[in-house]
Amino acid sequence: MDADEDDFVFFGTPIEREDDVTTTRKKKAVAEASGQLRTLVPWKQEVRDEEGRRRFHGAFSGGFSAGYYNTVGSKEGWAPQTFTSSRKNRAEIKKQSILNFLDEDEKAELDGDSLGTSSQFDTFGSTAAEIARKQAEKEQQQRPSAIPGPAPDEIVLPASDSIGVSLLLKMGWRRGRSIKDSHPGSLYDVRREARKAFMALSSEDVQAPISASELVRGDPEKVSELPTGSDNQLFDNTPVYVLKPKQDMHGLGFDPFKNAPEFRERKRARVSEIKEAGQGRSLSTKNSLFGFKSERIAPGFGIGALEDLDAEDEDVYASGYDFGGSFVQEIGEPARLFLEDSKKKGEKEHGVLRGFKVASVTDYQTERFNPPVIPKDFVPRHVFSAPLEDNYKLADLPPPEVPPPEDKDLKVLIEGVATLVSRCGKLFEDLSREKNQSNPLFSFLNGGDGHQYYFRKLWEENQKRNDNSKQLFVGKSYPTEQKMTAESRGKILGEKPLEKSSKNISLPINSGATVNLQVNLSDTFTNPVSFAEPQEVAKPFRDDPPKQTRFEQYLKEKYRGGLRSKESGGSSSMSEADRARERLEFEAAAVAIEKGKWGNEMNFPNQQLANLSGTTRLQFTSGGTEQAGVTKSEEELITKKLYPKREEFQWRPASILCKRFDLTDPYMGKPPPAPRMRSKMDSLIFMPDLLKAAKPEEDARASLSQSENEYNNKEAANREDEVEVEVENVERPVDLYKAIFSDDSDDENEDSGLDKVEHQQKNAEAANTTLSRLIAGDFLESLGKQLGLEVPPELSKSEHNSKGKEAVNINSANGDSGVLSVDRKSSVPSSAIADGFKTEEVRKDNIYHPEVSHEDASHGALGKSTQGSGSQTKGTGLFENVSVRSRLDIPQEKKKGTTSTGQQDRSSASSDDERGRRGSKSRRRKSRYSEGETTGSSDDYEDRHRSRSRGRKNDTSREKSSSRKHSKHHKHRSRKSPSSSRHRSRKDHGESKREKRK
Amino acid sequence: MSSGKLPTTEANVLNGHEGAVLAARFNSDGNYCLSCGKDRTIRLWNPHRGIHIKTYKSHGREVRDVHVTPDNSKLSSCGGDRQVFYWDVATGRVIRKFRGHDSEVNAVKFNEYASVVVSAGYDRSLRAWDCRSHSTEPIQIMDTFSDSVMSLCLTKTEIIAGSVDGTVRTFDIRIGREISDDLGQPVNCISLSNDGNCVLVSCLDSTLRLMDRSTGELLQEYKGHTCKSFKMDCCLTNTDAHVTGGSEDGSVFFWDLVDASVVSSFRAHSSVHTYVEGLGIKIIGRGLASIRNKLQFYSELFYNLVTSVSYHPKDNCMITASVDGTIRVWKS
Repeated sequence: MDADEDDFVFFGTPIEREDDVTTTRKKKAVAEASGQLRTLVPWKQEVRDEEGRRRFHGAFSGGFSAGYYNTVGSKEGWAPQTFTSSRKNRAEIKKQSILNFLDEDEKAELDGDSLGTSSQFDTFGSTAAEIARKQAEKEQQQRPSAIPGPAPDEIVLPASDSIGVSLLLKMGWRRGRSIKDSHPGSLYDVRREARKAFMALSSEDVQAPISASELVRGDPEKVSELPTGSDNQLFDNTPVYVLKPKQDMHGLGFDPFKNAPEFRERKRARVSEIKEAGQGRSLSTKNSLFGFKSERIAPGFGIGALEDLDAEDEDVYASGYDFGGSFVQEIGEPARLFLEDSKKKGEKEHGVLRGFKVASVTDYQTERFNPPVIPKDFVPRHVFSAPLEDNYKLADLPPPEVPPPEDKDLKVLIEGVATLVSRCGKLFEDLSREKNQSNPLFSFLNGGDGHQYYFRKLWEENQKRNDNSKQLFVGKSYPTEQKMTAESRGKILGEKPLEKSSKNISLPINSGATVNLQVNLSDTFTNPVSFAEPQEVAKPFRDDPPKQTRFEQYLKEKYRGGLRSKESGGSSSMSEADRARERLEFEAAAVAIEKGKWGNEMNFPNQQLANLSGTTRLQFTSGGTEQAGVTKSEEELITKKLYPKREEFQWRPASILCKRFDLTDPYMGKPPPAPRMRSKMDSLIFMPDLLKAAKPEEDARASLSQSENEYNNKEAANREDEVEVEVENVERPVDLYKAIFSDDSDDENEDSGLDKVEHQQKNAEAANTTLSRLIAGDFLESLGKQLGLEVPPELSKSEHNSKGKEAVNINSANGDSGVLSVDRKSSVPSSAIADGFKTEEVRKDNIYHPEVSHEDASHGALGKSTQGSGSQTKGTGLFENVSVRSRLDIPQEKKKGTTSTGQQDRSSASSDDERGRRGSKSRRRKSRYSEGETTGSSDDYEDRHRSRSRGRKNDTSREKSSSRKHSKHHKHRSRKSPSSSRHRSRKDHGESKREKRK
Repeated sequence: MSSGKLPTTEANVLNGHEGAVLAARFNSDGNYCLSCGKDRTIRLWNPHRGIHIKTYKSHGREVRDVHVTPDNSKLSSCGGDRQVFYWDVATGRVIRKFRGHDSEVNAVKFNEYASVVVSAGYDRSLRAWDCRSHSTEPIQIMDTFSDSVMSLCLTKTEIIAGSVDGTVRTFDIRIGREISDDLGQPVNCISLSNDGNCVLVSCLDSTLRLMDRSTGELLQEYKGHTCKSFKMDCCLTNTDAHVTGGSEDGSVFFWDLVDASVVSSFRAHSSVHTYVEGLGIKIIGRGLASIRNKLQFYSELFYNLVTSVSYHPKDNCMITASVDGTIRVWKS
């Protein structure tokens, strides 16, 4: 066929039939043309160019029309850029342009369709220049040039003249000639304008590529201004390149008007104004006042380092600054320059400017203001107008020394009041005066008896206080306060020195008198009601004299009514918290004392202020029993007053906790606190004492919480270390485990046996004591069991009675008690085991055996290696065994849990199945969940399961089989879940059905 | 508030637990309730119709506390087996078990978003567990208590827990502070008021104390019942008008919130059971009796012990759980 066809000559275009079209490409093209492709789904259609080439590719097969044969630009494809030393080919700086990235057709398009002004309308010749330069560029590229690289723009000149130039030429102007020279006279101004315009344009032309952006922004004035100087010179047609000079002192590229363009206009206007004026002048002076160079420098700016003219020789500043307007400062120009300007001007101006003289009188004068006159007695330190201490009398002359009044009580009273007044200020005086107006005892306040003495005392006190406060100013701390003993304080307060309180303890008979005296003393300063009464007050803080003093102080202040001086309630050496606590205590004690006064006067000499002492004494005194004559009700009151007690600590929540609570971490970004060493042993070894319940506990709490003391932590750590070491050196007979774990039922029986005994005891206290006995008994029991002995319950019971408490004490003293308690826990069975669970328990026991052996295996190496070292004493060995057990308890428990779960799951599942078989399908399962949740939870399950099995790679085969069961079960569940989700909407329905079934 | 409005008439008795019921809790909308007990089961009930819905079995020891998420989808429970169980309500399957407590876990609560379970244990610690991740390690352990932690409450930003050491500690997550209010008496149970400003603290000196949370001030004390050695609940009524709590003799007390007078008290659980298997959780602080923590305390004295009270969030309805194995629903 083909050979035949070769012989034929064909005319015209053959009609194409479909089967003639061989290439699918063409077919496609035709199909596209005929619109058949519309039948294709959009994502199967392909975009092709007119030649049928595929233009779009997937992101991984080259993207859009990936260049050369769908590669990237070359046959070889893309190759990463290799390193080339810049040493050899230095000058090769390639400039990328858009043309590099355009296809030929696009380039053509770009070239052809770019908008430009027709040269016909090219009034200013800019387009012509542009075109010319382009042309030149092109030519330059083509022809070899002497200068390698692209020729600089300056060299390539526009071939065509602007219309202005041609106009000028027509007017007779020649190139290379100055225009001005030939046109002096009246037409000058007009021409100058024309010239300016021309200059602007011509310079613009040249400048265009360089500072196109400038031009776009439009700064014609500046551009036009700057080259004007050149009109003094012969104009050659080499364009003056007016690179936009930097006229200000701003940093490069800094535009002060960036955010406030409205000021740019303003500034420009101002600048031009100045220039206009200056220029007018300079022009009117008919040239050559300044050299060309100096003219090129922007007026008003210092000589830059780059400018090569000598500042001394040429007076650059002379231009335009000899008029008042020069004081108008421009933004950003430093004033210093102007000052220098004027100075220089003053020096140099004489005769410099022809026809000008420096004005003898300047109409501008700066107004100067003298600084305010500082009074001579001014001290540059602020004194508060209302000082804390009322120094109102200090400046006065001391009142004359006055003999104290005969009445000693009055004397004491006066002294006391004076002290208080000096401490609390005049206000207190007024207050007490007001209060005690009718009281004859206080007549000295109102100028009655002893008034003079009172004044004297007051003055003395003030003096004293002033000294104190002065010292306070000098030293940073409170020197007097710190050193102040009870005695000195008492002295200040005007008290009689107290008898040593130790006496009170030894001689309780005497203490009454002391107390009386004390109360009288303290009440001297307080309200007259209590003053009048005979007092019987206990000293709650007898064994801590400074504290007692503070307490008394507190009492005084309390009765003073709201006016408390700062340092009340504790010496300054105490911390704020301590002080607050003490204040609380005092309050409580005061209430108690008050109560004691009014109410029953029963005294229990040995009654302890239990709570009071428990918390507070620890911090202040070393110990000793406190005696306080407080009644029970008082104690209660005190407790009520003391509690609740609020303390605040820093606590760092874990970041994930914050996240889960949807809160921002308050400690975010801060370094974590030093990790607190808290071991398992720490919780196992508890505080020992159970009899001295409150105190040590509180002690521990205080010490633990308040200082987070490292000592404890270290101790704990050490202990832990020790124990851990010991633990690992232990051999564990399997029998022991059996003994421990398999005799639950025995234990139960024994327990119930004991409990029968307990049943007979009716009251709770008795029950408690038996409890402790029981505890001891249990302990002994378990001990015996671990030793492999069978301890008969009867025996243990008898032992309770004799040894019970001691045993408890010993144990607790040893600090092993925690361990033992753990042990108890695991060996004491839960009594609530129903019969139905028995089988499960049996199975559990079965499980333990492999479990134990497994444990053995894992610890085997250590155990075996140390088997020889089993020559420890039996007691410690036992202890270690126990501790080991307690450590292993948890995994044990876990396994128990999981296996039993699996079992129960299985059983429940099977029962479910049964039910499902019995009932209709819709009844089978009730669920409240959306499907997502169900699957989610099953995922959880799976994951957990996986992780668990991962965690136990060494598990026995039994374990594995159980896990297989789990997974089977899981499958079963997941099969079921769709049905459950189907029925989830019928929850209530199902429920009612279930009800019916019931 | 008259006492007539108080739920003093028995509406239903929920029987099913074999042995003491240790806790009974309404769910968040009050339509259902959960109970757990010595028989190692958790049971879901409809208390208003008196029907038993579901039983959750997996615990190996007694279950001491149970809590359900606000969306009723998950449960958390804890008890003698030292684990916190995280359940799926509908399937009754354990999703996760959080192990880490060194001893019995006394109380458990979800946070608002059900993303964290916080548990309080006899090991003197609070532990926060993450329900969202698969980690079974606690997110955080708060172990500043010096004795067994009995009860806890969660707010949006705080974890509040009461301990036998006599303190109620507030862990404020938002500001990172721990505020400790020492009451001087072992704390048995704490319960938040509905406005969240106060906390009701049941102490082992047979006193309920109402504390202002912001200041730590003691606002009121409620006395009259017996609460000396067992873990028993207390709560405020839905309107915060009354305080209610159980007593060891089987009665339930209502106090007026403000004047602390006993408004009502009645024998809630007085059935004479021949055999009471195990009683409530005897509280033995670590400092008090360090050897033995849990006791199987058999005594005829306490067979009516009201272990738990829970008040309906909206209606005048209350459930009480007792050692006698029943849960009783009370309505006005």
